[in-house]
Amino acid sequence: MTTLIQLEIMRTLRNKRYLLVSLLYPGLLYVFFINAYHGGSVAGGTPAKSYFMVSMATFGAVGAVLSNSAQRISLERKSGWVRQLRLTALPGRAYTAAKIASCAVTTLPAIAVVFAIGAVEGVRLSAAQWGGLGLALWLGSFVFAALGVALGYAAAPDSVQPIVMIIYMLMALFGGTWFPVTGSMKSFARFNPVYLYNQLATFTQPGHPLDTVAVGGLAGFLVVFVAVAAHLYHKDTKQA
Amino acid sequence: MIGKGVGRMSAVTAGLRADEEVAAFRGVSKSYGQVRAVNGLDLVLRPGETVALLGPNGAGKSSSLDLLLGLREPDQGSVSLFGGTPRAAIEAGRVGAMLQSGGLMGDVLVRELVKLACDVHPRGRRPAEVMESAGITELADRKADRLSGGQEQRVRFALAIAGANDLLVLDEPTTGMDVSVRRQFWAAMRAQADAGRTVLFATHYLEEADSIADRVLVLHRGRLIADGTPAEIKARAGARRITFELHPADPAADESLLRTLPGTVSLDVTGRIDGVRTVRIRSRDADASVAAIYRAGLFPRGLEVTSLGLEQAFLTITGEGAPFPQSSAGGTLPQPSAGGTLPQPSAGGTPRPEDWGKDAAADDSAAEEGKR
Repeated sequence: MTTLIQLEIMRTLRNKRYLLVSLLYPGLLYVFFINAYHGGSVAGGTPAKSYFMVSMATFGAVGAVLSNSAQRISLERKSGWVRQLRLTALPGRAYTAAKIASCAVTTLPAIAVVFAIGAVEGVRLSAAQWGGLGLALWLGSFVFAALGVALGYAAAPDSVQPIVMIIYMLMALFGGTWFPVTGSMKSFARFNPVYLYNQLATFTQPGHPLDTVAVGGLAGFLVVFVAVAAHLYHKDTKQA
Repeated sequence: MIGKGVGRMSAVTAGLRADEEVAAFRGVSKSYGQVRAVNGLDLVLRPGETVALLGPNGAGKSSSLDLLLGLREPDQGSVSLFGGTPRAAIEAGRVGAMLQSGGLMGDVLVRELVKLACDVHPRGRRPAEVMESAGITELADRKADRLSGGQEQRVRFALAIAGANDLLVLDEPTTGMDVSVRRQFWAAMRAQADAGRTVLFATHYLEEADSIADRVLVLHRGRLIADGTPAEIKARAGARRITFELHPADPAADESLLRTLPGTVSLDVTGRIDGVRTVRIRSRDADASVAAIYRAGLFPRGLEVTSLGLEQAFLTITGEGAPFPQSSAGGTLPQPSAGGTLPQPSAGGTPRPEDWGKDAAADDSAAEEGKR
């Protein structure tokens, strides 16, 4: 199983699309936002460079896991690779486990790239805060890895890409990725995993504890996505 | 390793060294909606056999292999591999399989993919050795998703032989290969069989079945309609064709004798306006048939005895019309079972597979009558 996980990780890191969508694109957007705000603050008073560092890190991480898991699973179900793996001694869950493991690894560079730009641009956090923030964003990405697996089993290869893009962009738009969620939109945003994911970063601001509501909400989404993914996986297994 | 101790010949010819059932289907049926893909399949594979599963597209070959490998569950009946469930046999590393639609991983090299297959196999072989056996050493550093159809098939074959399996299952393995590569592939398949492995492969290339298999299973519309050595299958279908003309100018004889010729599987008489009739007989025992023709006092002109390949045998057994070029298309009448006039020349009457057994039985009785 470790060979499969290694191979999954390696092929993802090798993939040019991954480099572009998950590393380069959020990094460039981050630089663009910092310059657009001229070192100012977003609505709510958070400095733009801190705000967008988090939102672009989550943007990259979610993009990495969704495109990595959903599209690949969908394509590999169609191509027969999933069947081929079922003819090996690997346990049935190995495939999904390897996908999630590779997601977990591939989010780290996506987060690190944006953090590095942030540090260069003058975001100042304590070592514990950097570590805590990185860990929070990394753990939070598992929610989207599970969503990606579910989408990969739900969607056909020809429709999976637009479905993933629409879900991803809607969640990002109303989840505080491009601009802070304020006012009445917050009542909807509570049901948006990307919003909750972005909220994980609030503890780095002075006087804010860890947002336990966001943690609880994400845990709930994780349970739902895992349950849906497991159900779809079993259904797929029956169909051969 | 069980397969190794049992020689191919003893396992096949005697069937006595059946220490173990490699695979067994017992009353297996599987439907997809209205379509019965597999219909009451009963089958046992013995150690060391090289078995071809032959049938036209849609005959149920792939479905049967899916059931064998546990990728699908039968609606009725049971499938066992090495006495247990297919999954248990796969987990024990006793089965290697190459499916028709086994896509390969993208963004990885062939070498990495083969290493993966070797690593996950409980009795994995060395990747270099596997690539060598599959003839893909020169593809090692190619991207696995950037291969031609034939190359991809060979890589998938390598994945199937990545460990010391006892059973190798191949679903139309040579699809997409050109002729020379196909021959190399057959050699690789034979090497697997010679190593004592039981090999089961589905194919619609009859040459492949004829030249590699020591047992041929013919599947048609989900049913097993023939099971024997290639020679037996050919014989069963009437392995030779006797063709001659009867001219009205020649001394007349009792043509009804044609029906009672020994060994006849099917008889076809077509008449021309000038009274010349062409007789085509498919015979299991051409020597006896020809001798009987002369003994009957007939005067056959331009008599020819030609051999039918497995291909023709296959067509006869499945009664699938004539997708392959053949001279006597249409008009093949089953041997009449009771006395009467000669069968009328007709365009229809291709034997249906379910009738095939009856025809053979009727023919046997007719042959016996001929001897009396």
